[in-house]
Amino acid sequence: MAYNFSPDSEPTTRTLLRQVLDTAVPRTPRRARSTRSGCWSLHSAQRDLLETPSSRRQRSQTKMTARRRSHTATSVDRLARVQASGHLEEQTPRTLLKNIILTAPESSIVMPEAVVKLVPSPQVVQPSRRKSSRGSLELQLPELEPPTTLAPGLLAPGRRKQRLRLSEFQQGMDWGHLSQEPRENADASSLTSSLNLTFAMPLQPQSVKRPGLARRPPTRRVVDVGTFLQDLRDTSLTVAPPGESHRTPVATVPMDTVLEDTQPFSQPLAGHSPSVHHSLPCPSPSGAKEVEGAASRRTRSSGPGLQNSYSGPGKPAQLLARKMEEVEAIAMGLPNTSSVSGEDGIEPLQNGVGEEAEESMEESMSVREVEKAAEEQGSARAEEPEGHTEVAAAAGSLGAIEAKEPEGSSEDEDTSASPELPPSTPEFLRTRRLQFPEPAPPPSTAVLPSELPKHLSARIPPRPRIPGSRPRQDPNKAGLNHYAKLFSFYAKMPMEKKAEEMVEKCLDKYFQHLCNDLEVFAAHAGRKTVRPEDLELLLRRQGLVTDQVSLHVLVERHLPLEYRQLLIPCAFSGNSVFPSQ
Amino acid sequence: MALSTTVSQRKMIRRKAPRGFLKRIFKRQKPHLRLETSSDLLVHLNCLLFVHRLAEESRINACGSKCGVIKKEHVLAAAKVILKKSRG
Repeated sequence: MAYNFSPDSEPTTRTLLRQVLDTAVPRTPRRARSTRSGCWSLHSAQRDLLETPSSRRQRSQTKMTARRRSHTATSVDRLARVQASGHLEEQTPRTLLKNIILTAPESSIVMPEAVVKLVPSPQVVQPSRRKSSRGSLELQLPELEPPTTLAPGLLAPGRRKQRLRLSEFQQGMDWGHLSQEPRENADASSLTSSLNLTFAMPLQPQSVKRPGLARRPPTRRVVDVGTFLQDLRDTSLTVAPPGESHRTPVATVPMDTVLEDTQPFSQPLAGHSPSVHHSLPCPSPSGAKEVEGAASRRTRSSGPGLQNSYSGPGKPAQLLARKMEEVEAIAMGLPNTSSVSGEDGIEPLQNGVGEEAEESMEESMSVREVEKAAEEQGSARAEEPEGHTEVAAAAGSLGAIEAKEPEGSSEDEDTSASPELPPSTPEFLRTRRLQFPEPAPPPSTAVLPSELPKHLSARIPPRPRIPGSRPRQDPNKAGLNHYAKLFSFYAKMPMEKKAEEMVEKCLDKYFQHLCNDLEVFAAHAGRKTVRPEDLELLLRRQGLVTDQVSLHVLVERHLPLEYRQLLIPCAFSGNSVFPSQ
Repeated sequence: MALSTTVSQRKMIRRKAPRGFLKRIFKRQKPHLRLETSSDLLVHLNCLLFVHRLAEESRINACGSKCGVIKKEHVLAAAKVILKKSRG
């Protein structure tokens, strides 16, 4: 979803910059549109404009409405038009802020909008930040925005509507990026701030690609107004370098066309993921995760504050790496971003990730440490998150990964813990079993000290005793004792100890008879192996299994489930019957 | 009838089968034969049913003698009947 739009947004912003540079004089919206309607880039620019206002509007409003719009095409069209009308209103606060802060000459355009738009007061703060980050770009936006509103009516309505939908999706994305960018600016030094201006161009696409990341910003939004103002000034001074933007539109344009037709749903993801994921080891899982991420975004939108703390274990390391990349980019100068035109989608993403990483680093060092630890646990998964972060859509995937990685770590822990436990427990059982049969006085004394030191001591002492002192009957008696207890349970009456001994004798006799019978049955069948059929025959001869009561019925009545599963054949998935007959 | 000589009825029992014990006892009696997998569970089932029948029979005997506690004689009398019934 985000991928599709991101390319659009990039060219548009760049084109906007170019236009601004070329034509300092602000045009009326309709004129610009009429002139531009023929060109592709112009369309894309319009789309961007549409997207940006729509995103602002959505941020101000609930995001739920945007989702619903995307799902229902019919309703979307109407809503889109309404949004378009709303875009004009939304733009006004931005323009007002810009005018106030920058005291730009374009105030004339802004004025009408401002009159219309006083309503969205909460939004004002965010747009101001965005303006601060983009500076020159935003100034251009008011010009282009009116054409966007006009666009749906002039062009084919269906495509416009789709574009509007896309814009809806992007809206959330844009907001996140915008909010993040200003923070970065505030945090970063003067050098970084100048770089941010250049970065801001690619960042917008990133925001589109990463819906999940985009939603984080609202929580972080605590930013100093003074820093923003300074950044704005710096940006306004340094805005010049539009060269970066030139290449991207060409590559991005085809993407836009495909995406627009297909719309933001799962289809674009499949098409985009391979293309965008240059270095991803496994594109298919990433796509799935992206989808998950989309779902997660919706859920997370309600509680964006949590995301910061949740930020996946994979992120910190990636962020660090990207910070390094950013530093390199800074050292190299802006040309890096421009030179990598082939990887346009990826680099901006990385930059954005790095910035985010910086933010997160500054915000919470402890959180990262924990995350890193989690990463170490799931080293195998580390590859996946890296690939995802590289991808623009990774934002969603990151959220999914974040959720997954802790699970994975927990699983690892469980697995690590579980193997430890089972060996210890059976040993205890063994030791206890061995201890029980032993004669009273010596074993009791020996057992107590052994138990006190716990596992190690308990394991060692009983084993040596087994071979030496234990006659074989003792374990035998233990088993018989088990059935004697069963006897007292079935009897439902208190019984004498002598009676218990008698029961054990009877059981001993019974086992002798049983073994003899089984031997005879097996021998009669010409086998040396006693099979379940022999035992069924024995039960039948004992009158326990009859025509009315089958063996399976007895098993179900008297044996627990785990044994029942071993005895009664049952069909399982995969067209298989477990106790094969 | 001192308390020390009586064993109260057990409220809780382990339903787990002493499979090792069953295999061992069979191997000790018939070292030249082998039990197929999960047939020891059927032996356990058979033994359970035997104990069940023995307990019921001995309980009937105890009740017949108007005794609140199962005595050795009761079990012996029951064993005669049940062992004969449970011949293969």
